Amino acid sequence: MHLQLADVRKSFGDNSVLRGVSFDVGPGEVVALVGENGAGKSTLTRVISGAHQPDSGRLLIDGTPTVLKDPQAAMAQGIEVIYQEFQQNLFPHLSVAENMYVLDRERVFGRLFVSKQRMAAEAARALRRLGMEIDVQRQVGELSVAERQMLEIAKAMTHELRLIILDEPTAALDEQESEQLFAQVNRLREAGVSVIYISHRLDEVFALSDRVVVLRDGRVTLDAPTGQLTPARVVTAMVGDAVDDFYPKERNARDEVVLEVRNGNGARFHDIDLQVRAGEVVGIGGVVGCGRSDLLRALFGLQPLTGSVRVGGSAVRVASVEDAIGSRIAYLSPDRQAEGLCMGQSVEANVSLASLRELSTGGGVVSRGKERAATGAVISDLRVRAASPSIAVSSLSGGNQQKALFAKWVMTRPRVLLMDEPTRGVDVGAKTEIYRIINQLTADGVAVLLVSSDLPELVAMSDRVVVMREGRFVAELTGDGLDEQSILKHALVGAA
Amino acid sequence: MTSKLKTVAGRLRAVWMLLLVGVVLSVTSPVFLTPTNLLNVALATSVAALLAAGQTYVIILAEIDLSVGSALGFSAVVTALTLGPYGLVPALAAGLATGAAIGLINGLLVTRTRMPSFIATLATMSVFAGLTLHITSGNPIPVTDYDFQGIGQARFAGVPVPVWIMLVAFGVFGFVLARTRFGRYVYATGDNVEAARLSGIRVHRVKILAFVISGVLASLAGFIITARLSTAQPTAGAGLELDAIAAVIIGGTSLAGGRGTLLGTLVGALVLGVIDNGMNLLDVSPFLQDVVKGLVILLAVFLDRNVDVLRRLLPRRAPETPARTPELAQHI
Repeated sequence: MHLQLADVRKSFGDNSVLRGVSFDVGPGEVVALVGENGAGKSTLTRVISGAHQPDSGRLLIDGTPTVLKDPQAAMAQGIEVIYQEFQQNLFPHLSVAENMYVLDRERVFGRLFVSKQRMAAEAARALRRLGMEIDVQRQVGELSVAERQMLEIAKAMTHELRLIILDEPTAALDEQESEQLFAQVNRLREAGVSVIYISHRLDEVFALSDRVVVLRDGRVTLDAPTGQLTPARVVTAMVGDAVDDFYPKERNARDEVVLEVRNGNGARFHDIDLQVRAGEVVGIGGVVGCGRSDLLRALFGLQPLTGSVRVGGSAVRVASVEDAIGSRIAYLSPDRQAEGLCMGQSVEANVSLASLRELSTGGGVVSRGKERAATGAVISDLRVRAASPSIAVSSLSGGNQQKALFAKWVMTRPRVLLMDEPTRGVDVGAKTEIYRIINQLTADGVAVLLVSSDLPELVAMSDRVVVMREGRFVAELTGDGLDEQSILKHALVGAA
Repeated sequence: MTSKLKTVAGRLRAVWMLLLVGVVLSVTSPVFLTPTNLLNVALATSVAALLAAGQTYVIILAEIDLSVGSALGFSAVVTALTLGPYGLVPALAAGLATGAAIGLINGLLVTRTRMPSFIATLATMSVFAGLTLHITSGNPIPVTDYDFQGIGQARFAGVPVPVWIMLVAFGVFGFVLARTRFGRYVYATGDNVEAARLSGIRVHRVKILAFVISGVLASLAGFIITARLSTAQPTAGAGLELDAIAAVIIGGTSLAGGRGTLLGTLVGALVLGVIDNGMNLLDVSPFLQDVVKGLVILLAVFLDRNVDVLRRLLPRRAPETPARTPELAQHI
C-alpha cells in the first residue's frame, strides 16, 4: 500500500495533538515512527486505523483520497494495528486457531456451526507459512508474551494485509524473541506490506527501518532514510535540543558494603554470592528466564530464599514484603500497571502508600499536612509532572508514572533499591530523568541492583555487571571489559 | 464555598438524585417536607444504611458481602436469646461478637481459600439463614427488656435513637475510611491488590477486617430491627443485602473497587428511603414499589457511567478535570 498523509490535524478541545502531519509510506517500506510520549504517535495511529477522524488534512491510499470512517473501514483496506497492550485483542480462554479466525467474515469454516478441524488445520498451515511454531490447540492464556504477539501478527495476516502498525512491539520481549519479531517484519516487507514501526528503542529503529519519521509536539521534525541518519540526530529531532550526554552516569560507589548475599538459593537461582556497596549500581545481565528477576523478587520477600542476606552489616530476614521493607529494601517492579501503581488513586496517595506508617499518628490517622509536605517534596525532587498531586496517576504519561513509582520508593528512604526494567515503555526524555534519579539515589549512598533488557542502558548505568545464566552468576564485568558484546557472550554461551 | 459544594455535587451524582426526588415529592405531597415525615424517612433508612456502610468497605475492596441480611437475622436471634437470661450488656456483646464472627468467617474464606466473595458469602448467607430458622424453629422471639427496646423506640433530642446510631456509625466509619491508614489500605487494595501487596500492605488482613466491619454493622442493624419490633424475627434480614448493595452503588462506589465514599453511600441509602416513603405517601401499590426501586438503580448507574450525557443536558460548567497538557495527549 502507498499511504500518504497530507497536513493531517487533530485537536481535542484546546489541545492540538497533530498540527499538520505529512509523510508517505510506500509499499514494502518499513517506516519507524519515533517521538516522545505525547508527541502524537498514538493519535496518529488512531487516525490511520480509522479510530479517530482528522479535523482537517487528507489521507490518500494509492493516490486516492480516502475517508476511514471507522476501524472496520480501515481493516477493509487491509490496515491492521497491533497495539502496545496487545493482549486485549486476544481471547485468553479460546485456542490459538479460534483466535485467528474469530471474525471469519466470509464464513469459511461454516455458517452456523464451525468446523474446528478445518480451522485448526488452516491455522497450522498459516502459522507454518510464517515460520511460527505454536500449537494451534493451545489456549491463548497459556502462551508467552512473545507467542501472543506472533499470534497477533498471524491473525492480522489471515485477511489481506497491506499496512501494519506495530506499536512498541518489543517492549515485553527479550533479545531472542525480538530477533524473531524482526525476522517477521522482514518477511512482511518482502511480501510488499507497508510497516509503520513505533519504538522507543533506537537500536531497533536503526536495525530495521528504511526510513525514520520523528514526531515532536504534533509535527514532523525529521523524515529521512535511515541510512543517512545517526542516533544523535534522531534524538535531537525528538527532544528538540542536542542531548550530548544521554546516559548521565555518575560514579558514586563508596567502600562500605550495604547489601551482602551469601550462598543465596531459590527456585530459579543457585549459589548466589553478591556484594553491593553504598552508592554502587550492580547490573545483572542475562536473558529473560535466567533467574535475574527471580533473584530480585526473592530479595524482596516475594519468593523463597535460603542463604544469608545482610543489609548494612546486620543479618536480615526477607521472608515477606514487610520484612524487606522493614530492612529498608525497595523493589521497583517491571510491570507498573499490574504491580506498581494503583492506577485509580491519586499521585499523592500512590507516592505515600509505602510510607504511611511514618506519616500517621499512633492511632493510625494519616496526617494530611505531613503527607502533603513529604510527597510534595519528593514529587518535585523527582520532577514528576502532574497537573496536581490529587489527579489520578493513570492520567500521567508513562514516563511520569514511572517517576511516581520511583517516588513511592524514594519516600521509604531505602538502603537497597532493586530495579527491574526501570525504563520500560518510557520515552527518551523521561529515561534521562530516571537516570538522574538513579544518580541522586547513589549519591545518597543507596545500593542499587539493576536488571535491564536494554543493554546500552545496563552497560552505561552500572558500575559493574554480573552475568547470570541458568540461575548462576557466570561472569563479572567491570571497566574496559564491560560492554554489550561480553554480556551477550556470557549470557548466551558462557565463558569463552 | 459554593464552588466546593459544586464539586461535591458534581462528584456525588446521588445528591442530584436525592434533590430531584425530594423536589418532586415536596410538590406532590403536602406531608413530605414536614419534620415528622423526614425523621420517619431517616428512621426507616437506618437499618439498610448501616448494612450499606459495611458493604461500602467490602465493595471498595472489589469484593461483595451477600451474607449481611443473614448475619443480621442470626445475630438478632442470638441477642434476643441472650437477653432474657443474661441481661442487656452481655446480649449486646454476644450480638456484636456474632456479627464479627460471621465477618471473620467470610474474610477467612475469601483470603485463605481464594474463593470469590460472591460465592463464599452466598454460601454463608444460606448457612446462617438456615441456622437462624433451625434455632428458632422459625418462631419469632419476643423481647421485653425495656432498655433494649429503647434502642429502637426511644428518642434523644427529638431524634429517634436509630438515626443517631446511623449518624455516629457513618461519622466513625467515614472518618476511618477517609483519614486513617487502614482506610488508605482499603482503597489501595481494592484498586490494585498486587501493587498494594508489593507496597508492604497485608492485604489479607485488610480484607478480613472489612468483612468483620460489615458483620458488626449487620449486628448493629439487627439490634435496631429487633428493638423496634420488640421481637427478633428469624427472617428479619432477608433481602436486605440487596438494598444495601443498591445504596452503595447509587452512592457512586464502583464494583470494580478502589472508589467510593461513605457519604455517597449515606445519600444512596437516603435516595432509596425517600423513594419508599414517597410511594407510600402517594399511595403507590407496594408491588410497584420494587419496580420503581429497580429503575432508580438503573438510572443511578446509567448516570454514573454516562456523565457526558448528563453534561450535554445540563448547562455548561467549568471542567472539573485539569486542562489536558500535551503530556496527557496520548491517553485521549
